[in-house]
Amino acid sequence: MKKRGVIGTIALYTVLIFWAFIVLFPFYWMFTTSFKRPLDVNRIPRYIPFVDFQPITDHWQFLLVTQQEQTVRQFRNSVIAASFSSMVVVVLGSMAGYGLSRFKYYWGRLGWRNDNIAFWIISQRFLPPAVLVIPFLMIYGFLRLVDTHFGLILAYTAFNIPFAVWIMRDFFDSLPIDLEESARVDGATRTQAFLRIVIPLSTPGFVTVALFSFVFAWNEYLFALMLTNFNAITMPVYIAGQQSTRGTEWWYISALALISVAPVMLIGLFFQRYITRGLTTGALRA
Amino acid sequence: MAATTEKLSSIRPLVSEPSTGGIHEDRLIKRVFLTPAVTILLLMSIFPLLWSLGISFTNIEQGSRQIVTQNFLGLGFDVTLRNYERLLTDQRLFDVARNTLFYVIAGVTVQYTVGFGIALLLNQDFPGRTVFRVIFLLPMMMTPVATAYAGRMMFDSTFSPLAQLIRTIGSLFGEPRLTASWLTQASWAPWTIVLIDSWQWIPFMTLLLLAGLQAIPEEIYEAARVDGATPWSIFWHITFPIMLPISITAILIRSLEIFKIIDIIRITTGGGPGTATESLVMYVFNQALTFGNYSYAAAISYVLLVMVVVFSTVFLAIGRRANKRVNG
Repeated sequence: MKKRGVIGTIALYTVLIFWAFIVLFPFYWMFTTSFKRPLDVNRIPRYIPFVDFQPITDHWQFLLVTQQEQTVRQFRNSVIAASFSSMVVVVLGSMAGYGLSRFKYYWGRLGWRNDNIAFWIISQRFLPPAVLVIPFLMIYGFLRLVDTHFGLILAYTAFNIPFAVWIMRDFFDSLPIDLEESARVDGATRTQAFLRIVIPLSTPGFVTVALFSFVFAWNEYLFALMLTNFNAITMPVYIAGQQSTRGTEWWYISALALISVAPVMLIGLFFQRYITRGLTTGALRA
Repeated sequence: MAATTEKLSSIRPLVSEPSTGGIHEDRLIKRVFLTPAVTILLLMSIFPLLWSLGISFTNIEQGSRQIVTQNFLGLGFDVTLRNYERLLTDQRLFDVARNTLFYVIAGVTVQYTVGFGIALLLNQDFPGRTVFRVIFLLPMMMTPVATAYAGRMMFDSTFSPLAQLIRTIGSLFGEPRLTASWLTQASWAPWTIVLIDSWQWIPFMTLLLLAGLQAIPEEIYEAARVDGATPWSIFWHITFPIMLPISITAILIRSLEIFKIIDIIRITTGGGPGTATESLVMYVFNQALTFGNYSYAAAISYVLLVMVVVFSTVFLAIGRRANKRVNG
């Protein structure tokens, strides 16, 4: 890269710090709001704890002690829906991805080969879920799946499979086939080669898929809103429902939002390179 | 990207030659690998998609469980074109579709330009780069519902820091009661929603475009610089053309996502004032759950589907043409 002058460097950092401020300020605001007395929220903005307002921990205490059962339930619902669906997605998605990468398919009736099948699968990812929501409501009503964990897990599995197949196919394409071939020359069956050679080597792919499916299911709103009403409510629906009860209680909303953001944020910080990888395979290949 | 494609073509020929194992074993295993995923997609995606089309031709009005169960999935209802006749004269649908298009176009424009700008900055070499990259990624991790609430706190017309800023500016000019109703005024609210959505998704653009920028070999820039090119012409004649295909993909992905927008709107404005900020998905939701009109909701959702398909076809055609013109 070309050398920057002093002015260039100052300008660069000014812009960067300005943008970092825009990015971080809402987080800071939510964090401080969760420690403010209602009076400090609803009249004029208070910025710095101990300077222009006295922080209190009442709201966190209320959510984590008094209302513990409720808070934990929604959190657990989210964990159940997100983790089970992403587990299923990893298994089914990588199987299909492996198949599309290693075998030749031909769907005679449609005249489709591997690339057509893969394109059909990824195109499902871009279908607006709103088109599916009415049939889901009716079918789930009929099968009594409304407001169950299983119902949500099933829906999220279906939504995340296309992306998983896409990522895993790309991943297996980049995995040299020689390793499997040599295992099979040594007498392993295709299944054994898959289980003992391919799976251990594919951990990065699995991690990427699991992360993305988890985050998607964790943040999903429309279907959770439509298909749950009490028992299986997830965090986003719970947070969104906070405004109707007793006016808008910003301190609880902020605290709950932080609780719901925490797992995703931790995942994101720890596995940042997997996230970059997941986003770029999706996009750079197409 | 190019490396993957090359590797791909070198792997593929091997694929069809199983070194051991009979044809039968392979044919069975082949199916075992692909069938579960395909079955789930057929059952949970294609079937509801077609069913939705069917429902849109019925008169299912109520969402109560008994009615749905008695007439299994709507089979007991008459076939009618009523919903489609209604679509043609529904002013609200027209408004809502226009709002949705506005969100897509304005949102993608803001996110692409700012995202590209930040990606260019992060592509420079400077101390602290990794820290900034991590920070800039954070909004993407926020639950959209939480983002929406954060947005409401930022743009509230009385207790937000922005409102205070406006008041301060106002008092400088002798107008201490100056306020700005970012979320309650019909002309501003859609823009505010675009800003909130952009805050969350600019990082996505940045991440994709940065990956693209990092794949451009340094030698190309150096050669241009030796020839005396200015940074401006380097950007327009080298960087931008190389980045065009990735840009098209990134813009398309974001557009398709914005077409689905509901959570931010539902929490910040609830679609109001009037229907000024309502999106198509929200209208589907309201028809289904507020008015219990399942069949009309299904018809509206098909309007959305048609819009999405037309939009992506046109966009890809334009993109391909632009790419041809720029990159030959």
